[in-house]
Amino acid sequence: MESLEYLMKGFQIALQWQNILFAFIGVFIGTCVGTLPGIGPISGVALLIPVTATMTGGMPPEQAAASSIILLAGIYYGAMYGGSTTSILLNTPGDSAAVVTTLDGYQMAKQGRAGQALAISAIASFSAGIISLIGMVLLSEPLSNLALHFGPAEYFSLMLLGLCAVSGLAGKSMTKALLMTVFGLLIGTIGVDNVSGISRFTFDYPPLYQGVEFLTVAVGLFALGEVFKTILERKDAEGKVAEVGTILPTRQQLKQSAAPIGRGSVLGFLVGVLPGAGATLATFFAYIMERKLHKDPDRFGKGAVEGVAGPEAANNGASGGAMIPMLTLGIPGSGTTAVLLGALVMYNIQPGPLLFEEHPTVAWGLIASMFIGNLFLLILNLPLIRMFTKIVDTPIKYLIPCIIAISIFGVYAVQVSTFDLFLLIGFGLLGYLLARHDYPLAPVVLGVVLGPMIENNMRRALTGSNGDWLIFLQKPISLTFLIASLLLLVVPLLLQMRKPKQNATEAM
Amino acid sequence: MSKTFDRYASLVFMALGVAFLVGSLQIASATYGAEVGPDIFPMALGAVMILLSIRLFYGTFRSSQTEETEKSPLHLKRFFILLAASVLYVICLEIIGYLLATFLFLVIGFQGMQKGKWLTTLLVAAGFSGGIYYLFVEVMKGTLPGFPTWLGG
Repeated sequence: MESLEYLMKGFQIALQWQNILFAFIGVFIGTCVGTLPGIGPISGVALLIPVTATMTGGMPPEQAAASSIILLAGIYYGAMYGGSTTSILLNTPGDSAAVVTTLDGYQMAKQGRAGQALAISAIASFSAGIISLIGMVLLSEPLSNLALHFGPAEYFSLMLLGLCAVSGLAGKSMTKALLMTVFGLLIGTIGVDNVSGISRFTFDYPPLYQGVEFLTVAVGLFALGEVFKTILERKDAEGKVAEVGTILPTRQQLKQSAAPIGRGSVLGFLVGVLPGAGATLATFFAYIMERKLHKDPDRFGKGAVEGVAGPEAANNGASGGAMIPMLTLGIPGSGTTAVLLGALVMYNIQPGPLLFEEHPTVAWGLIASMFIGNLFLLILNLPLIRMFTKIVDTPIKYLIPCIIAISIFGVYAVQVSTFDLFLLIGFGLLGYLLARHDYPLAPVVLGVVLGPMIENNMRRALTGSNGDWLIFLQKPISLTFLIASLLLLVVPLLLQMRKPKQNATEAM
Repeated sequence: MSKTFDRYASLVFMALGVAFLVGSLQIASATYGAEVGPDIFPMALGAVMILLSIRLFYGTFRSSQTEETEKSPLHLKRFFILLAASVLYVICLEIIGYLLATFLFLVIGFQGMQKGKWLTTLLVAAGFSGGIYYLFVEVMKGTLPGFPTWLGG
């Protein structure tokens, strides 16, 4: 099989010493970030993009891209794991995907079995990582083969589908999600138009000619937004950290969790592949499924190992699965993958159908490094659990100003402009306000990243057809994408109309 | 959640949509050799944005959702201290240099979050700003305005 050959080449790249180092640093920082109060996976990745950009600054472009995406992906799944650490120890989930883990994980911790819960969750994360790796190898080839038939019209419709998927499926209100998407797209139009060279919405102000940089938007909205939220809303007194206890799980616990891990991984992977659905949904499904399948469902919620193993596997499976639409189609399934996508674009690497053709180093190097990263996660976490639990105690008094300083340093190091720093603070305030009122932020970043690409493909397609807009409907693949986007927008509306009362209470 | 916020937000977004729509009318419509000029895309987006904000505005009157009452007081004082400190930090960064600006920002920030423990505050602030500067400039060979320019650094 051709994929296996590529995967081997990917391993050659991932096993270069600097990339092993990057994977290690990524997973380590990621776990710390996930464990730290106040920053989750998205802001962790956004915050560290500038740092990785400087670290890889001296390398040739292709290698720099591969190395930094390896590091950033490491942060991503490291943080996913770290988020569940606080779920188990403190009953405060690090991000929404770790909410389900609190149900049984914290109960286990209260019974003095926190160490075992953490170990099981590490093992589950590892297994899920491996399963999603296999899925990636199997899926990437057919997807990139399909992609060879794509022209600008198909790309345009595909990206539109991506935007609709993220806005249609994520968030509580579709209007708000769509509004955020369009807002992001509009931000993306600021600057000198790269087809005609005409400047748009710059008001003849030179710093705006380059456009609003994706990095500034992402770090502002996610990292600073979360920081402002912590400053404003966090109470100083937090719950006590539970005792870790024994770390090694018993043979019986391993036996009990084997099947949930397998089921959770596959389920998580499949949900993750669907654009827009994401890890949170996967963990809820996995938990419900385990409870349904179990002989004694009453044990759930009282510290059942299965209730930790299944959702944790689904969580990591989904983060692996979400990489596939991001890499092969250019459609991120979650906020974090949207940020990763932006990072790739920063390196002039266009995620999408041709990624595997044009930049096999980056694509396969990343996939192979996920295997190595997951191995690190397991090796790192079992012996270092005690150390990571100490991080939970970091006083926010010192943490918060340091995060602001790192954000400002990071953006300044890449952009070298004070104007971007003011924008950064502005987006931070905006991010806090919008997130507080249930406006999803991931679509904004997605819009900023995808906007220029969508516009270019639209104009190329229209130039090819002499300005005939019907070209998007005449190409069968493009038509299919457009119909699918329409369905994504219309079906939730129809469902909403059928049960208008239920959906107000179902806001979960 | 809050209907009042949604109502104001929809008005702001509507204004933004109108601004982009009007702004795109002033962009030259067609360039030589291209069928679709640089004005079409932002114009369409502006229009969609106006429609969506109307939908949001309309929705705030219709929704039966009860207003959620959040009574937990916001830490406004420490927020404004940190916000002001951040803005000052950005303004001063290029004037007094990275090291000094970061150190001062962190001292104000730490004390703004919670008063007391001056020794730790000074040590952490000095260690952080010095550490980042050393790592970035010495190890990774990046450029930062290290010292005040008027000192010749």
